[in-house]
Amino acid sequence: MKTLIIADEDFKTDTFHDLNEIIHGLLNDRGFETEVIEVGLQDLTFCKGCFSCWVKKPGECVMKDAASINRSFLNSDVTVYLSPVIFGQFSANIKNVIDRSLPNMLPFFYTRPDGSTAHPPRYDNYPRQIIIGYGEEISTEDRQLFLDITKKHRYNIDVLLYGGHHDDRNIIEAFNQINLAKIGDLS
Amino acid sequence: MKNIVFIQASPKINEPAVSQMFLEMAMDKFDESVFNKEYINVRQSISRHTQNNAFELLSRADAIIMAFPLYFFCLPGMLMSFLQDYSKFHQENNLQNNKTRIYAIVNCGFPEPQINLEAVRVIESFSRHIGSDFRFGIQIGGGPMMLSPHVMKAPFLKSTAQSLDKAFSVIAADVADENQISEKYINIEFNFSRRIYFFMAEKGWTSLAKRNGLSKKELYKKPY
Ligand SMILES: Cc1cc2nc3c(=O)[nH]c(=O)nc-3n(C[C@H](O)[C@H](O)[C@H](O)COP(=O)(O)O)c2cc1C
Repeated sequence: MKTLIIADEDFKTDTFHDLNEIIHGLLNDRGFETEVIEVGLQDLTFCKGCFSCWVKKPGECVMKDAASINRSFLNSDVTVYLSPVIFGQFSANIKNVIDRSLPNMLPFFYTRPDGSTAHPPRYDNYPRQIIIGYGEEISTEDRQLFLDITKKHRYNIDVLLYGGHHDDRNIIEAFNQINLAKIGDLS
Repeated sequence: MKNIVFIQASPKINEPAVSQMFLEMAMDKFDESVFNKEYINVRQSISRHTQNNAFELLSRADAIIMAFPLYFFCLPGMLMSFLQDYSKFHQENNLQNNKTRIYAIVNCGFPEPQINLEAVRVIESFSRHIGSDFRFGIQIGGGPMMLSPHVMKAPFLKSTAQSLDKAFSVIAADVADENQISEKYINIEFNFSRRIYFFMAEKGWTSLAKRNGLSKKELYKKPY
């Protein structure tokens, strides 16, 4: 099994290091092969919303710096995002990774069983995505907002929160519940 | 005179931005003889390294009105980066602007306006973090409709245009301290059938592809 870990280079706090160690430990125990991508401000620019990845060069961003992340993402069985929780959202660097994944979907619209709109997937299967938000003092409102942003609009995604050592057991238990294998669909 | 700062946070470079159109509609509601209006384009402030000037403006604002698109159900990375940096600037300079009123105008490509809610809540959280007074958000579904001016003139969209106009007037009235605020999250939907909207989008994408020399089939490429 191949795992991709995406982390924010600008927020390597003590809490991050504790969390990172736990996740690496859990993946090593299972004998998974792990690739780590640490994204800094200079590594990946923000999406400019030009939609060229849909209508000019389908499936690829016209700016070259996202290609290797998207390739690693699609070639992994599991992708784990370690994101600082900022204003209840992903940090800018992690959000840039997510925004720049737009080429992995198709431009068209369809209606999901619950009546909401979505884009059809471009590929037949995707890695399982696990999003772990971390921070020393995440307020109750920001925790809830982070869960709503990530879970409310997506199926097939696992979201965990980590606030420090007091969460060690919770995060290990929750992680162990996840079926670490590719999924069929992104939505 | 009250300082009103308008923030345009669409990352687009060459294409017309829907956020710009909405922001201009909101700006028109503020009389120049009564308000001092300032404008910040986030992408330009980042590319021209003038973020500090922008932050100075923000720190003196009585009201901040920001318009941006929804990206993956929350703020675009570009705007997150700008707000993170402002929050740092705020902390480093020990600023207190607890009276600054903050408003958000968020538009998205899907027809349902309520999916913008979490993005508005991020602005609410940002306001809390810098000790400002978040007032309300205007959540607009089907924003790209604005890019078809001829469609916008259609009689059946008159009610949509009126709700937009009213929502922006409510911001201006609230800034002027009339406390018109009724709801925290105002949803605006284009009076348009979902089926036709989806059809138009599909036609739009395929005709753009054609212009780039691609067939519809080629839109389904799987490079990785
Ligand atoms: C990377 C990216 C992600 C997007 N995510 C969403 C989304 O989650 N939901 C949605 O309805 N529209 C989404 N959109 C569409 C934009 O919100 C829409 O095109 C909007 O009108 C753009 O506004 P602007 O012209 O002000 O940039 C996304 C667009 C891009 C480029």
